[in-house]
Amino acid sequence: MKGPLIQRVRFGVGLAVGSALAIGLAFALLAAERRQALQARDERIAVVRVRALTEAVGGLAVPSENGLQPLLIAWKARLPGSPPARVVATQGIRLEASTFPQDVGDKAAPRRLEREEKPLFDQAARLHAAVETNRSEGAPRVEEIEVTKTPSGGLGLASPVERDGAVVGMVQVETPASVRRIRPNAAVALLCFAAPVALFLLFSRVVGERRWILGLLAAVLLAGALAFYARHSQRVLETDRRELETAVAEETRAQTAALPSVLSAVSVSAPIHPETWDSDLFRRPRSLVRADGRLDEERLRREIDSRAAEARKAIAGVGALAMALLAFVGFGGAARLGVTLRKNREAYAYITPAMLGMIVLVFFPFLYGIAISFTDQTIYTTSKPLSEIWVGLTNYAQILGDFHIARRAADGALVFNYLNFYWTFLFTVVWTVCNVTIGVSVGLVLALILNTPGLALRPLYRVLLILPWAVPNYITALIWRGMFHQQFGVINQMIQIFGGQPISWFQKPFTSFITALATNGWLSFPFMMVISLGALQSIPEEIYEAARVEGATRWQQFRAITLPSLKPALIPAIIISVVWTFNMFNIIYLVTAGEPAGSTEILITQAYKFAFQKYRYGYAAAYSVVIFLILLIYGTIQNRATKATEAI
Amino acid sequence: MKPFRVTLFAVALALTGALAAGAAEIVVWHAYRAEEKEAFEKVVAQYNASAAAKGNRVTTLAVPYDAFADKITAAVPRGKGPDIFIYAQDRLGGWIEAGNTVDPIDFFLDKPTRDRFIPTTLEAMTYKGTVYGLPLNYKVITMVYNKKLVSTPPRTSGELVAVAKKLTNQQAGRFGLAYSYADFYYHACLMNGFGGGVFDAKNRPALNSPQDVQAMELLMKWFEKDRILPAEPSTALITSLFNGGKAAIVFSGPWFLGEIAKGVDYGLALLPTLDEAGGKPMRPWMTVEGVFVTSPSKNKDAAYEFAKYLTDLPAARVLAIEGRQTPSNKGVYGDPQVARDTVLQAFRKQVDVAVPMPNLAEMTMVWSPATTAMNTITKKAATPQAALDAAQKKVEADIAGLRKHS
Repeated sequence: MKGPLIQRVRFGVGLAVGSALAIGLAFALLAAERRQALQARDERIAVVRVRALTEAVGGLAVPSENGLQPLLIAWKARLPGSPPARVVATQGIRLEASTFPQDVGDKAAPRRLEREEKPLFDQAARLHAAVETNRSEGAPRVEEIEVTKTPSGGLGLASPVERDGAVVGMVQVETPASVRRIRPNAAVALLCFAAPVALFLLFSRVVGERRWILGLLAAVLLAGALAFYARHSQRVLETDRRELETAVAEETRAQTAALPSVLSAVSVSAPIHPETWDSDLFRRPRSLVRADGRLDEERLRREIDSRAAEARKAIAGVGALAMALLAFVGFGGAARLGVTLRKNREAYAYITPAMLGMIVLVFFPFLYGIAISFTDQTIYTTSKPLSEIWVGLTNYAQILGDFHIARRAADGALVFNYLNFYWTFLFTVVWTVCNVTIGVSVGLVLALILNTPGLALRPLYRVLLILPWAVPNYITALIWRGMFHQQFGVINQMIQIFGGQPISWFQKPFTSFITALATNGWLSFPFMMVISLGALQSIPEEIYEAARVEGATRWQQFRAITLPSLKPALIPAIIISVVWTFNMFNIIYLVTAGEPAGSTEILITQAYKFAFQKYRYGYAAAYSVVIFLILLIYGTIQNRATKATEAI
Repeated sequence: MKPFRVTLFAVALALTGALAAGAAEIVVWHAYRAEEKEAFEKVVAQYNASAAAKGNRVTTLAVPYDAFADKITAAVPRGKGPDIFIYAQDRLGGWIEAGNTVDPIDFFLDKPTRDRFIPTTLEAMTYKGTVYGLPLNYKVITMVYNKKLVSTPPRTSGELVAVAKKLTNQQAGRFGLAYSYADFYYHACLMNGFGGGVFDAKNRPALNSPQDVQAMELLMKWFEKDRILPAEPSTALITSLFNGGKAAIVFSGPWFLGEIAKGVDYGLALLPTLDEAGGKPMRPWMTVEGVFVTSPSKNKDAAYEFAKYLTDLPAARVLAIEGRQTPSNKGVYGDPQVARDTVLQAFRKQVDVAVPMPNLAEMTMVWSPATTAMNTITKKAATPQAALDAAQKKVEADIAGLRKHS
C-alpha cells in the first residue's frame, strides 16, 4: 500500500520510538548518576570521619593500655551524630576500643576478639598487607580504605592506623543507611519526549510526503530534544556536585573544630592535617578541600567540566543509537523485517532451539572474549566489572603497533625480537605454508603409489600409513622430541653413524623449526593421503584409456586428468588443514616449546603464554581476536577463490 | 509394604537427628591417588568416627591434578567450591590477589598449632605476613645415588666432582652426575645455595643477582669443564640412565623413587655443601601441600578444626607410614616406625636447608623467561650474566604489564 500517509506515519513512529529510547536512556543515566553521587556523598563524608578519627588514634600507641577507649568516647560525645567506631590491633587478636552498642558489659573493650569476629581481624590484616604492597610496589594498586555495605544498608569503613611508618591496627566505623532519596524529575523527561512528536505532527502536514525532508525534520527535532534534556541533566548534576562538595567541606570543618578538644580529653596534643582527610580509597587526597576547610573553587570547576565532557560523550552515543533507530523505522527497514519474520515464521520457530544453544555456548563466550580484549583484565582484576578496567583499543595498539621486529647488535648482527607480533605472525605463516606443502606433496605421492593397479599387500600399506594419524598427537610429539635429543636421540645417532657431528636441535631457531616441521609433517600426511586416495579411485578408468589411445604420456595424463580431478577434493582439505596448522598448539608446545627464546612460537601458543603464564587476560584476549581476524580474512578470500573450482 | 515404611521411618529419624545436632558437612577437594589417597581416606574416616558426636562430617572429592588449580580459581570465588582444598603453595599468591578464594587463618592459629610444624613449611603458607593454610606434606629434592657405583656419598661439591669425574665416560654415555639441571626448579638448589633467589627481600625480581650468576657459572663448570653431566637432561633420560646404571648420582625428589627399577640398590643422602659458596649447603626448593579453608565456606570453624586434625600427629603418622608422604608435622619423625624409615628421614634432613618455593603471583611469570635463560646458557648460546640479564628484563616488563596501577 502506497497510501498518502505512509511516509509521515513511518517517520512519526520512528521519531516516537527514537525519542522514547533517547530520552528514556538519558533519564536512566541521569538517575543512575545521581544515585551514585548520593552514595559517593555518604562514602566521602564517612571517609573524612574515619580518617579524622584515624589521625586522632594514630596519636596514641596501638595497642595501648588505656586512652583509646576514652578517645573514642570523647569523639562520639564532641561530634553529635558520629557513627560507632572500633579499633582493632594487628598484633594479638584484640579489640582495643569500641563504641558499638553491643560492646558493653562483659564484652566491653579492650578484650580478645571472639570467633565470630574473625572478619574484623582479617580486615585489619588485609589493610596491613594493602599498605605494605602499595609501598613496596611504589604505586597504589590495592585499596587502603575498605568500604563495605552493612546488612542494614549502611556503610562500613575501615582505615589503617600507622605509627612510625608501620601499620599497627585499623579504625572501623559503621554509618547508618542514608535516608535521602532522589526523586527524578520525570516531567522534564516526558516533555522532552512528547514535544518533538507533537511538533512533528504539526510540521509534517506542511511538508507532506517528501521523504528526505520528513527524515531531516524528525532528526532535527530528535537532536533538539535530546540536547535540551542533556543541558537540563548537566545543570542538575552540577548542583548535586556542589552540594556534595559543600557537605564534605562542612564535615571536614566540623572534625577540624572538634578534634583538638577530643585529643586534649586524653591529654595528647598533636598537629592535625585536615587537608588529607578527603581522599580516595588509596588515601590520596582529592585536594578539593583546603586546610582551612574551604572549597578550592578552581579545582572544583575543572572536575565538574571534565565530568560534563564525559557525560556529553555518553549522550552523543545515545543520540547516535536513537538516530539509527529513527532511520531504521522511518526508511522502512522495520516494516520489511516484520514482513520477513511473519512470512518465514515456521523456519524461525525451527531454528530457535538450536539458536538458543548457540547463543549460550558459542556466541556469548565469543562476545565475552571480545569484550575482555578491550579491557585491562589481569589476575588481580578478575572480580572488577569490565567497565572499570575498560581501556579501549590499547591492547590492539600494543600488539599491532609494536614494530621493533629486529635491531642491530653491537657487532652489526641482526637480532630479532621474537616476542614481537609480526615475527610470530611471519613464523606462523611460514610454518603453515611449509607444513601444508609437505602434507599435500607427501600425501599425494603416497596416494599415487598406493593407487598402482595390482599392488601387492595394499591394505597392509594403507593401514601402516594411516597409523601416524591414529596415534594421539601428544604421544607422537613427545616421541619426536625424544628422537631429536642431542646425545641419545636416534636422529643424531644416525648422523654420527654416517660420520657427521651431532646437532643440538633446539639451539638455533632454524633447526628447532625443522624438528617441529618434521613432527607435524609426520602427523599431517595421512590425512592428505586418504583424501587423495579416495578422489583417485573415483576417477573413471575410461578417461585414462581414452588418453592413452590419443597417445598421451604418463606425465600428460597426470597433468590433464589426475590433477584437475583431484582439485575438488583437495582444495577443501587444504583449507581445513591450513586452519588446523595455523592453530597447531600441541606440536609447538610439546616439541619446541618455543625454544630457543620464543623464536618458534606460533600465534596461538603466544596467546596462551600471555593468558596463563603472564596472567594478562585482556591482552591475551586481544591477541586471540587478532588471530581470529586473520583466519577470517583468510577464510573469506579462500572461499571466493574456491567458488571457481566448484564448476569442475 | 511394611519394610518400606520401616526404612522411611529410619531415614526420617536419622535426618531429624542430624539436623538437631546442627551437623556441618565439610567438603574437601584433593588430588591424591593410589596409596596417598588410601591413607588420606583413612584419616578422614577416623575423623568422621571421632567427630560423629559433634555431627560434623567430612566428605572428600578427588579432582584430577592437572585440572585442580583452574577448578579452584573458577569455582571457589563463585561459592561453588569446597570448604577445604589441598594444594601446593605455588598458586597461593594468585588466589589471594584475586580475592575471595583462600581464607586467612592467623586468627585461629594458636601457638601449639604453630609449633607443631617444621618452620619453613609454615613459611610457605605465609603470604605477605599472613598465614593462609596449614602445611600438610612437603616435597623436596635430595641426592639419590646408586650404591653399587658410589660407596660413600659425597658431602661437598669438591668430593662430588671428584667422584663423578671418575664415573663419567662421555663416549659410553655414562655419567657421574645426572639431574634435570636445565630445569629451573632443579637448578634452584644451586641458586639458593649461593644465597641467590628469584625475588629479593622486597619481592622485586632479582634473577640476575651476583649469586644467581655464580650458581649458573658453577653449573656450567660442571657441565663444560668437568664434563660430568649429560646434555639435554630430560626427566625421562635421567630415569633411564639411572635405571641402566649409567648415572651414579641423581638429584631428585620423592616422585623419582617410584620410577627406580627393582634391581637398583639406591641410597639417599643430603645434597652436598658448596665449596664455591664457602661451604654453605645446597638449598633446594620445597613445595608444600597446604590445607586451605575457602573464603566462601559456611563452616569455617569446623573446616579449620578438620585442617588441624589432619595435620596433627596421629594423622601425620598414617600419612607417612601408609601414604609414603613426608608430613610437615615435625613430631611424626620421632615415631619409632618413622624413625627407622631411611627414606622419610633423608627427606626430613634435607628439608631443614630447603627454601619454600616463592608463593607470589608473579612467580608464574618467572618460569618462561627463566627456562629460556637456562636453555640458552646450557646450550652455550649466551653467558650466564647476559642470559640472566635478559630474563630479568623480561620478568620486570611482564610484572609491570600485570601491575597496572590506578
